[in-house]
Amino acid sequence: MNSIFFGVIAILSLYAFFKLAKVKASSKQTNRSNRINRFGNQESHNIIEGESEDITDEKEK
Amino acid sequence: MSKHAAINRFGRSANPAFTRNFNGFSRDVPSSERMTLDGAVNKTGILLSLCFGGAFIGWNIPMLMFPAMIIGFILALVTIFRSPSKAGSTAPLYSLAQGIFLGGITLIFETQFPGIAIQALALTFGILATLLVCYKSGLILPTQNFRLMIVSAIGGIFLLYFVNFIMSFFGSTLNFLTSNSLTSIGISIVIVGVAALSLVLDFDFIEEGAEKGLPKYMEWYGAFSLMVTLIWLYLEILRLLAKIRSR
Repeated sequence: MNSIFFGVIAILSLYAFFKLAKVKASSKQTNRSNRINRFGNQESHNIIEGESEDITDEKEK
Repeated sequence: MSKHAAINRFGRSANPAFTRNFNGFSRDVPSSERMTLDGAVNKTGILLSLCFGGAFIGWNIPMLMFPAMIIGFILALVTIFRSPSKAGSTAPLYSLAQGIFLGGITLIFETQFPGIAIQALALTFGILATLLVCYKSGLILPTQNFRLMIVSAIGGIFLLYFVNFIMSFFGSTLNFLTSNSLTSIGISIVIVGVAALSLVLDFDFIEEGAEKGLPKYMEWYGAFSLMVTLIWLYLEILRLLAKIRSR
């Protein structure tokens, strides 16, 4: 009887895990300033502001 | 530069699988080649199935237990330190090997204490599901300080295990770690707590990895790290239940 009880708990927990794990975390979890930032700011771009200038062979000479 | 010097020194996560620095990912990964929550969860399912398959083998052929443990340990080191990008091939083998080891060791415990395996399994998956609910709902909010705390605790625990391992060569062990005294049970409960909280860091890694669009192979790496923690948690629960039952 005990084994059946624990077996059911294990199966239900696994089912809950696989259902819930695919859901995105709440905004309370994702939108906060003190999150662990493991991968740096991936959204930033490497754009350097300023005027661009063509480099031609003549100029190099 | 991180706020905490210790985090910079020892890496950025409690789980050894996450102590590498992943800041150098390209931002130009195509959307079809990016890590997703679904992908990581599906791969966790594959690794869990392989672990159960391995456990079936280990349960029936217990003499494979120790070779499988050593192979699993080597595969874990290779995945963590040599080639996280090859986790797609090493993580399934790791799960299978560790499954064989778990099957064998579970059989030993089950022979001594009938019914202990299913209790440990239910507790492990129960803790997994409960902590996932707590994480997703925002009840537990992992921060740098939280991670530093878990890293320090894991460091201390593995130092104790290492000392105990060395002492075993001289015919002695750390009594408060291996006996069934109340102190030992208390310490086991703390260790189970630390292993359980490490799961939160694994969830956060996968969630952040999917948000930031890491390369696809990180799905395998995330699933692998979750498996490392789950296997550790299961073994600690098994030890804790055995200590309680032997009193």
